[in-house]
Amino acid sequence: MGDQAHENLIGLLQRFMDEPAARTAHKDIQAGERWLDAQPAPAPDALVIAALKTQMAVWALRRHRIRRLVHASVAAAAAVIVLSLIGLLGPRSTSRPHLSYAAIIPTAIWESDDITTDDLDLVYFSSEIRQIEAQVRALDADDSDNGVVGIPEEFETELMAIQTELWKG
Amino acid sequence: MYAGRCYGYFYRLTGDRNLSDELLSELFIRLVEKIGSYKGGAFESWLFKIASNIFHDHLRGKQRRRKLLDAHRSQLELEPGLNEPRFSDEGEIRLDKLQVQLSRLDADTRDLILLRFYSELSFKEIAELRSEPIGTALSKLHRGLKKLRELMEG
Repeated sequence: MGDQAHENLIGLLQRFMDEPAARTAHKDIQAGERWLDAQPAPAPDALVIAALKTQMAVWALRRHRIRRLVHASVAAAAAVIVLSLIGLLGPRSTSRPHLSYAAIIPTAIWESDDITTDDLDLVYFSSEIRQIEAQVRALDADDSDNGVVGIPEEFETELMAIQTELWKG
Repeated sequence: MYAGRCYGYFYRLTGDRNLSDELLSELFIRLVEKIGSYKGGAFESWLFKIASNIFHDHLRGKQRRRKLLDAHRSQLELEPGLNEPRFSDEGEIRLDKLQVQLSRLDADTRDLILLRFYSELSFKEIAELRSEPIGTALSKLHRGLKKLRELMEG
């Protein structure tokens, strides 16, 4: 111990005893510690120290690997969470358009067991379907001779009448 | 640096080089395990607290304790002259006079003296480590070192 430490020790001893007793106790402590200094303990075996250093190196390497693994896992987990959130909360640009279907034939017909009535209904609906098909074809071919009403012509006539009335007013 | 001081602490407590090697290895394993619990401050205090715990854990083992006591007893019985250094059966390990006289002190005082000497901690730190008042630690150390001096000079 240095001189300062000795002085501090005397000061510490004086907290518990008077000054002469503290100085005597201090001398006893110093004398006892001199014996410890005079006969140092042997040093540890070099092989033990080498083994300890190896263990510490292995431990440090393992710790480094674990840290890297944890960082990689956290990054992967974060990526998964972000993608999940985008999928849940983001715009649904990739979702398919919603299609609504209207049945021409009422569901009651499919669920009915009355074959005779159902046949008549089917005949009726079949003829309606054929008529609609003919109208669609006529519109496509711009053909109004098949008894189909010329809707564009009607609109044109109405438009001309409106214009005439407007300028009259 | 720390390995030498810790080894000296273990060796002076046990008087057995092989056992001190084991305890030193155990100390470094514990250090690795507990490094997360080190929250700064005096490293020596933390280190020697673990070293002291390891030694006391070792003592608690009944078989090891019996072996240690028997070893100490046989050392004293076989000692030809306390003022003369002697050599072990292997002729390699010198059991010095200090080791013999230290073994004559009570275990608690011996632990305190060696903790103070090898850890180089302040009395305040030693008192905290041992969970006892600083005056008690100081008084025990004074009495112990005075007795050690008498034994060594006697």
